[in-house]
Amino acid sequence: MGRTIRIVLFYSFLLAIWEGIFRLHLWPEFLFPSPLDVLKTLSSGFYDKSLLIGIGISMKRIILGFGCSLVVGVLSGFFIGSVKILDETIGPLLLGLRTLPSICWLPLGLLWFGLNEKAILFVVIMGATFSITLATDDGVKNIPVIYLRAASTMGAHGFSRYLFVILPAALPSIITGMKLGWSFAWRSLMAGEMLFVSLGLGHLLMMGRELNDIRQIFAVMVIIVAIGVVIDKQLFGVLEKEIRVRWGLVPS
Amino acid sequence: MKLQLKGVFKSFYTKRHRLTALEDISIAVKQGEFVCIIGPSGCGKSTLLNIIAGLEKPDRGEVLIDGHLVERPGPDRVVMFQDDALFPWLSVLSNVEFGMKMKNITKRKRRAIALEFLRMVHLSTFKLSYAHELSGGMKQRVALARALAINPAILLMDEPFGALDAQTREILQAELQEIWSLTEKTIIFVTHNVREAVCLGDRVLVCSARPGKIKKDVSIDLPRPRKLGSLELIKTSNLIMQELRSEIETVLKEELRDG
Repeated sequence: MGRTIRIVLFYSFLLAIWEGIFRLHLWPEFLFPSPLDVLKTLSSGFYDKSLLIGIGISMKRIILGFGCSLVVGVLSGFFIGSVKILDETIGPLLLGLRTLPSICWLPLGLLWFGLNEKAILFVVIMGATFSITLATDDGVKNIPVIYLRAASTMGAHGFSRYLFVILPAALPSIITGMKLGWSFAWRSLMAGEMLFVSLGLGHLLMMGRELNDIRQIFAVMVIIVAIGVVIDKQLFGVLEKEIRVRWGLVPS
Repeated sequence: MKLQLKGVFKSFYTKRHRLTALEDISIAVKQGEFVCIIGPSGCGKSTLLNIIAGLEKPDRGEVLIDGHLVERPGPDRVVMFQDDALFPWLSVLSNVEFGMKMKNITKRKRRAIALEFLRMVHLSTFKLSYAHELSGGMKQRVALARALAINPAILLMDEPFGALDAQTREILQAELQEIWSLTEKTIIFVTHNVREAVCLGDRVLVCSARPGKIKKDVSIDLPRPRKLGSLELIKTSNLIMQELRSEIETVLKEELRDG
């Protein structure tokens, strides 16, 4: 039995259970919708473009926020990984900040930037940066000494050394950090978008609540999960696998 | 003189001990000379190579290349390591090009040079492979091509064939002799294998252990190309082996006492 068939069968089974529970009428319809109703909401949402616009706006924000996190995270990770005193001083602080749930940055962001776009970006960046920093730092520190020695006897100094040796050598670790950072960023974005008329997916979710439209809540949640899975698997998963195969860490 | 070491000292400090790795080492190596350094494990021969490479600093004494003081690593003294030091993120070809890229040699030129050296080590067909797809012997051939492509004044080899099986090692020893006669490089070759040293070197320096000193400087006048199995080679090896044996025993006794 092919992998695709197994997956299709599993999800059909899941939907059947959902439909079954719905038909038992354990809860009123306005609290527990049928899968078909959710599908209808999804298709009408795509048809009148409200979902598409929501997805577009959220994606724009995540790309911007995550992009900033990536640049700041990798650069700061490089610094901390290569300067011992930074590692001793800032290292533990970053570890602590990473465990801080990103939503805790929201009050600060709201006071600093007001109820707007900037506050959301702030939360996304704070949510994602630390895991990328720490993963980069870890990657830099765990580069086998022999690579660095070989590089320096071949004349790699200064900037070239960072670009052509340290960055590629730390890349597997950086990708892992990106994957983690992405999932933090996505969560923070959804939390931030629920706060005001932000037009993103989080806002659509909140609108479902305000309109008492359980189908919309389900539909938007499906979209949020789907985007999360696709980016995790198709983007970072593929990148990670490619690197591991090239390095010979897994049988190709 | 191509390479001169003058009164080099080096100690390492552990929590309880001070270990004198090198004591008053003075060596002079001529241009194009093939010098093998041999000694029991722990005699500081790899440290000596790292000091010549500029990867470690001596406590006292100095290293001169063409009369200039060595202060840091540089592509005029490339090291070829025992372990697999190829970059796993680069193809074989890009690995060989790496040093030339650092020297800002144009892409076209460095590609041509890299291909030439890959031909020399018989690996042209593997130019697009990655390190993990190669056998141990092939990896060391790539490492040799990578080192030679930089065109160093001195090639430093730290037990480069130590991790290979006997047959592969013998093939690579023959190839190295051939490449050396073609390129006329100055080579410092560290090994713990006496016959390998006698087979390859113009001179064999025998190190004593703890502290590491040059105990004997033996010129090898056997005709080239040399074969590991030749009678003359075995005779010379046995003479050197006798020198070495007492050193190995010293080390063993010391280690057993410590244990």
